[in-house]
Amino acid sequence: EDAVPRQKIEIDNKIALERIRNTIRLDPSLSWTETLVVSYPETIDVDVDDDLNRELAFYKQALHSAQAAKSLAAKHNFPFTRPSDYFAEMVKSDAHMERIRQRLLDESAAIKRSE
Amino acid sequence: EEDVQVPAPKKLKNKQRVLLLSSRGITHRMRHLMNDLEALLPHVKKDAKLDSKNHLHLLPELADLNNCNNTLYFESRRHEDLYLWAAKTPNGPSIKMHVQNVHTMDELKMTGNCLKGSRGILSFDKSFDESEWGRLTKEVFTHIFGVPQTARKAKPFIDHVLTFSVLDNKIWFRNFQIIEKDPLQPNGPPQMSMVEIGPRFVLTPIRIFEGAFGGATVYSNPEFVSPTAVRAALRGEKGEKYGKRKH
Repeated sequence: EDAVPRQKIEIDNKIALERIRNTIRLDPSLSWTETLVVSYPETIDVDVDDDLNRELAFYKQALHSAQAAKSLAAKHNFPFTRPSDYFAEMVKSDAHMERIRQRLLDESAAIKRSE
Repeated sequence: EEDVQVPAPKKLKNKQRVLLLSSRGITHRMRHLMNDLEALLPHVKKDAKLDSKNHLHLLPELADLNNCNNTLYFESRRHEDLYLWAAKTPNGPSIKMHVQNVHTMDELKMTGNCLKGSRGILSFDKSFDESEWGRLTKEVFTHIFGVPQTARKAKPFIDHVLTFSVLDNKIWFRNFQIIEKDPLQPNGPPQMSMVEIGPRFVLTPIRIFEGAFGGATVYSNPEFVSPTAVRAALRGEKGEKYGKRKH
């Protein structure tokens, strides 16, 4: 016998969602420099299984947002670019970056060998 | 010296602190993802694993004890499925999501790097503004993933972008380093480009609750199928094949 497919009940209580958002919303008079949020004016319309174009779309979004943020930072007189003499701990250690570099070298060597 | 100080108009500040913790039973990949988030977000306070999966109501209290007004809770099920709760504590809302396609910063494919504790730009694509659940999610993520200027270990410069994009009804997370100089022409005109740093992950929203780790459901994703159901269906298919052969 056929099993009756269980219908999932969709809940989308727009009124409650909006009300909740208003209770937690950050003060609109907050300076942009406090949140650094940028909205990308486009949606991502690519085939989800097309890895290359998908990642390209994310790349474009990041680039667009970084450029928008840079001009916003200039407008707010907010430091953006790191001076070349400013050093501090990075999220990836030097040893880790060296391993990444080594891998890239190995890869390009392998390509050369196969040519 | 005796001048009466005129109080300067108080500048509004964005004050956020995030409690980050997981359930028991997380795998190394899940743990590395948590470590990545901890490295990227200096306003995160990491806490020990939560003992019980049935006592999530303890979390708002725990967050309060750590002076946190947000909580990110990673819940691992069956040592393979990962769920993420993003909650405003103590009053809610909370968003429960399924985490997939995790790649951490340890992997060698992503060559970018950034300052530890630098404040990332938060980039949301337009889809977030097109639905009510999207707008709420954007607000909550702004609180949680945005590093406040006053965070103790925050750096005064910007060198990376966190992107959130909706595709296929899922939220895709990426983290890119901002490179302002063309590496081939260091003295040439500034030309901005991006290099991915990691981590990567994809979040499928499951439910949004009104309260912190509980309360009324105000949104549920009708398209979400739990990974257990997917596996059961696969097993069922296999069983059916066997059953047919037998008769």
